[in-house]
Order: sequence, then C-alpha cells, then structure tokens
Amino acid sequence: MSFLEIRDLHATIGGKKILQGLTLSIGEGEVHAVMGPNGSGKSTLSYVLSGKAGYEVTSGSMMFRGQDLATMKAEERAAAGVFLAMQYPVEIPGVTTINFLRAALNSQAKLRGEPEIQAVTFLKRFKEEREKLSMSDEMVKRPVNVGFSGGEKKRNEVLQMAMLKPRLAILDETDSGLDIDALKLVAGGVNALRATDRSFLIITHYQRLLDYIPPDRVHVLAAGRIVKSGGPELALELEAHGYDDIVTAA
Amino acid sequence: MASAEKKTSNQSFESDAAALFSNISASLPGATWLQPLRSEAMKRFACEGLPHKRVEWWKYTDLRSKIVEGLGVAGVQPLNTVRLYDTLKSHRIRIDGALVKSKPIQADLPDGLEILSLAETVEMPSLWLRPWLQPSSSAIENLNLAFAADGFLIRVGANVRVETPILVHSLLSQQNVMAHTRSIVLLEKGAELTLIEVDYGTAADQSFSTANTVILLEQGSRLRHLRISAREGKNHLVRSDKIDLARDASYEGVIATAGATLVRQQQTVRLSGRSASFNVAAAYAPGLDQHTDYSFEVAHAAPQTTSRILVKGVATANGRGVVQGRVVVEPDAQQSDSHQMARGLILTAGAEIDQRPELEIYADDVKCGHGATIGSLDVNQLFYLQSRGIPEAVAREILISAFITEITQRLPDVLRADVDTWLTSHMEKIGGVQ
Repeated sequence: MSFLEIRDLHATIGGKKILQGLTLSIGEGEVHAVMGPNGSGKSTLSYVLSGKAGYEVTSGSMMFRGQDLATMKAEERAAAGVFLAMQYPVEIPGVTTINFLRAALNSQAKLRGEPEIQAVTFLKRFKEEREKLSMSDEMVKRPVNVGFSGGEKKRNEVLQMAMLKPRLAILDETDSGLDIDALKLVAGGVNALRATDRSFLIITHYQRLLDYIPPDRVHVLAAGRIVKSGGPELALELEAHGYDDIVTAA
Repeated sequence: MASAEKKTSNQSFESDAAALFSNISASLPGATWLQPLRSEAMKRFACEGLPHKRVEWWKYTDLRSKIVEGLGVAGVQPLNTVRLYDTLKSHRIRIDGALVKSKPIQADLPDGLEILSLAETVEMPSLWLRPWLQPSSSAIENLNLAFAADGFLIRVGANVRVETPILVHSLLSQQNVMAHTRSIVLLEKGAELTLIEVDYGTAADQSFSTANTVILLEQGSRLRHLRISAREGKNHLVRSDKIDLARDASYEGVIATAGATLVRQQQTVRLSGRSASFNVAAAYAPGLDQHTDYSFEVAHAAPQTTSRILVKGVATANGRGVVQGRVVVEPDAQQSDSHQMARGLILTAGAEIDQRPELEIYADDVKCGHGATIGSLDVNQLFYLQSRGIPEAVAREILISAFITEITQRLPDVLRADVDTWLTSHMEKIGGVQ
C-alpha cells in the first residue's frame, strides 16, 4: 500500500478542467516537489487533496494510506493527517491563533476518537514550537493572521503544522513573498519536521526553496498533468532553462 | 377581549386600544394633572394609528401589519425566577409588564442615588416630571403615555459615582396583553452610573410592550448602559430611548437583541453640549419568524461632539434585521466627529437584512463617516478552519461568534461570558450554527 497514490486524477472548478490525468505517488517519509508554470494546476492540486469546496473530482483516484480522500470532508482529511500550508493564509478576525489551534487539535482528536489534549500539555508544546519560529506570545494572542506580514503568516502556517503533526504536509508556494531571512526560518521549521513517518509535497514556482528543503523527487506539472519526474537535479535544470523545453517536449 | 380569530373587518388595534383606554383610564396611576395628558395622547394615537411602512422611519418595520387587536392590559403577576445575571451584585429593579414588582430597599442605596416608581411619583403633583409626560408627534410615544402604568425614575446626584450597577429585570409573564412603561434616568453634573437592563420572558401568544426611557446626562456625567433584550416567543417589543447629553457628558451603550418575534430598539440622541460623546455598539440575531430593528437618530448640536455607532447582525432562516440610522450635524456643531458602521451577516437564502445609514452635514469643519456591509460567511475562512480539522458546523459557530465578538467584547468581564453563552445558544436554537 502506497502512502499517497494519485492516479489519473481529473478535477474541475466551476466546470473548468484543471487537473487532466494527474498521476503521482509519494512514499512515506519522502519529500516531493511539484514545480510548474502559472496556471498549470499547482494550487488546484493542493486544494483537491485537502478538500476545498468547489473543486470537483470528475475521475481518477487519490488514495492516502488506504483511504479514498475524495469521499472525505476537509476536516476528516485533516484528522487523517493531511495538512495544507496555504499560499495565502486567510485572516480570521475575532479568533486568536492560540484558541484556533486548541480547537483544531481537539477537533482532530475527537474525529480520531482520541482524548482531548490537556491544557498544560498544549500550552507547553505551543510555547516550544512558537519559540522555535521566533513568534512572540503577543503574536499568537492576536486574531489569526490579522495584521501579520507575509512572512509572519507563513511562519504561522509552519507553527500550525508543527502543532498538528500531520502525516502529509502540502506546502503551497510557501516561499512566495518571503525575504531570504524569513525563507530560512520557515525552511528550518519545515526541516525540523522531516521524519520517517511524515511526507511532504512542496509546491513551488522557483528552485530557491529547494535549496533549503532538499527534495527526494521533483515533478513538473503542466496543463494539469505530471509531464516529467526526476531527482533534485531536475529542479536545477528547470531553473537554468525554464519550463518551456520540458512542457513543449511533453 | 375579542380574540384575533373573531375580529371583523371594521375592528382594528387602534379602535380596540381607544375602547380599552376609556374603560381603564380611571384606574391608571396619576393625579389629576396627568389624566388630560393621557387622554390627549390617546386621541392623537387613535388618529394616527400604529406606525406602518409608509412612515419613512418605520419603512422596514411595519407595526400595523404585525400587531393584532384584542390585547388586554397587563395586570399584577407573581414574580418569576430570574435567569440572567442573578448572581451579579447590583441594585435591583423588577418589572413584570406594567409594575415595578419589588422596590429597591432605599436603605441599601448609597447617598445621592434615588430610585422611585413612576406609578407612585405621578400620584403627586410632580412638576419636574411633567415635561417628560407630554403628548408628542410620535404615535408610539403617545400610545405609551396613554397607557404607561409604571416605570423607574433613577436620579444620581451631582458628582456621585455609583459603583454598584443598577440592574433592571423586565419581564412580561402574561400573554395577549399590552404593557407600557416609561422611565427616566437623570445623571446630574459629574455623576456616573452603570445601568443594565435585561428583558426576558417567553410568550406562546402575542404580547406587545413599549418601553420609553428618557436619559438626561448633565454636564460631565457618564452613563454606561447595557441592554440585553432576550425575550422569546411571540413577544413584540418597541423600546425607545431619548437621550440628551450636556457638555462633556458621555454615553457608552451596548445593546444586544435576540429571541422574540419582533423587537425594535430606537434611540433618539441629542448632543447638546460641547464635547459630549455618544458611543453605542449593537448586536442582533433574528432567526425563524423573527424581526429585529435598531434605529437611531443622532443630532450633533454643539461643537466638538462625538458619535460612534457600530451595529452588527446575523440573520438566518427567514429572519429579518433592520438597521436604520441618521446622523445630523447641525450648523453650530463644528469640529464634530461622527462615524456609523453597520455590518450584516446573512446565513441562509431566506434571511434579510436592510441597512440604511444616513448622514446630513450642515457644518463645514467636521469629520464624518458611514459605512454598511452585508455578506455571508467567508468560504475561505470556513475552509481554513476545516482544513485544520474543525468540522464545518463548529467552524461556522466560531466564525459567527467571532463576528459578534466586536460587540460583546465591550461588555464588562462579569457579563461577557453569560451574553456569549446566551447568544450562542440562541444561534443554535435558530439554526445559525448548522
């Protein structure tokens, strides 16, 4: 049984075909990067995997640890271990980051039939994780992402990932809008979470992020399909020559 | 009383009320000076009738189509158990329909604080009350004056700061009745007071109440006013506040409304002294067959006056919310500062929110703003919460509560949790959470 097995996946949004026969397999503990030009379906892939409303799977399958993701609600996928670090994390006025995370952890525990996390345990872990990401106490007591800079929002995504300990973390253009210092901080947070039982799907436009988070495999996504796969050297090749050659050849 | 089913076409609420008035007017409280004023008010009301949708100020709340005839007047009822805030340390007043049920013990009141019953006070030839008990051009005020059976008179002496809040529990435990109360709150120069009003009680059959409150804030006085209107069932309630602020006086209000068939809260405010300030935050949540209305008129009549109005509402099922407001900056009110904002959240296709902010400026050196937004729950916010493992129903609840928090966070800590719980349970009841 594969960890994540996507086969011939077709998906639409508002009737528009975006994913058109995407096949991708990720083993447990592996880090895969998906690169591709604008409009190739990168963000759609992340939303389809995590279950955003409006994205419809028309054919194909996506099996995660033996479960068919397509039949699960977004919250059930999260409880099963799927996490999406969003390209544009939304602001939620009126809900503090700390309360939000506590609600998320307890909801996931409930969905998995596990006991709720103890308040003391939660606060201790939370303090450790936020300090690793240089996030102040004041920041996490503010409403989720409200008034945060681009870098702070991305750090908040990594903080949530660290607290929720997913089995599959999807990073959707986590590097966009980050300066080099913020990028290092975020990449450090991600690398600290690499584990034999945790896989990563890193969606990115540029090779830059992969300098800091070295992938096991690199895939090129174009027109809704994976058109080429290779080792880390493929990312360097793309950086040097652009997408045109590969996309045209495909 | 004739029941609603037996009504014939030439009957109406107005003729019913006039007949009722001639039957009971002799038994209404008040010395000889008050009776002619009541009669005149009744005459004017019978002539004009209940406010209806062709009256601009009542365009979205058509009382004429909502109130049925055949209502009696509320009588004396035994006290019911109080639910909200029973543990709060406070000076208490209890009203069931028409009557102040348990007078506060005057010995418990600090020096400089006076609480009287209107019914008792109007038995005397009271001169200072008389200006506030005059027939007017408002139909609701006239109806209220004609029948007003009681109310509270609160007076805080100059420079007296009342530490303990005054808590008014207002219940209507009877049905198929009307109840009208008229109250006056007077803060003398430099006085400070917190007034908490809680309306509650449920009705399986129609009831109709009006409560008129005159609030007079003398120079430098400060009133914190919290009103929770938590009536349930077929209650119809129109609350009217007339607020006058002298120089440097300030009013800070939080008004929350949910639960009854119809509640209208209207505030008419006059900033008549320099640097007076009016600040109100209102929240409302109509569900199935419920209608809530917050309407305000604020007049800036003196320089450097400030007004802040923030209204947030959540409507679901076929619930209807109305926010209608007008701020007028008069020619003398230079350097005034006014901002009004109404935000509505519509949860279901059948719900409706009407918001109409208006601003009239007759001075040239002022800072004024107004805004209104209406939307549904943000799908991106919902997905964000769900993608972290929070089920949709809980995510909706979190977002609705977060929307209202901007209002409830203005409540003092001792009340906030209760009001949050009440609002949340109300939202569950009306299906806002699902």
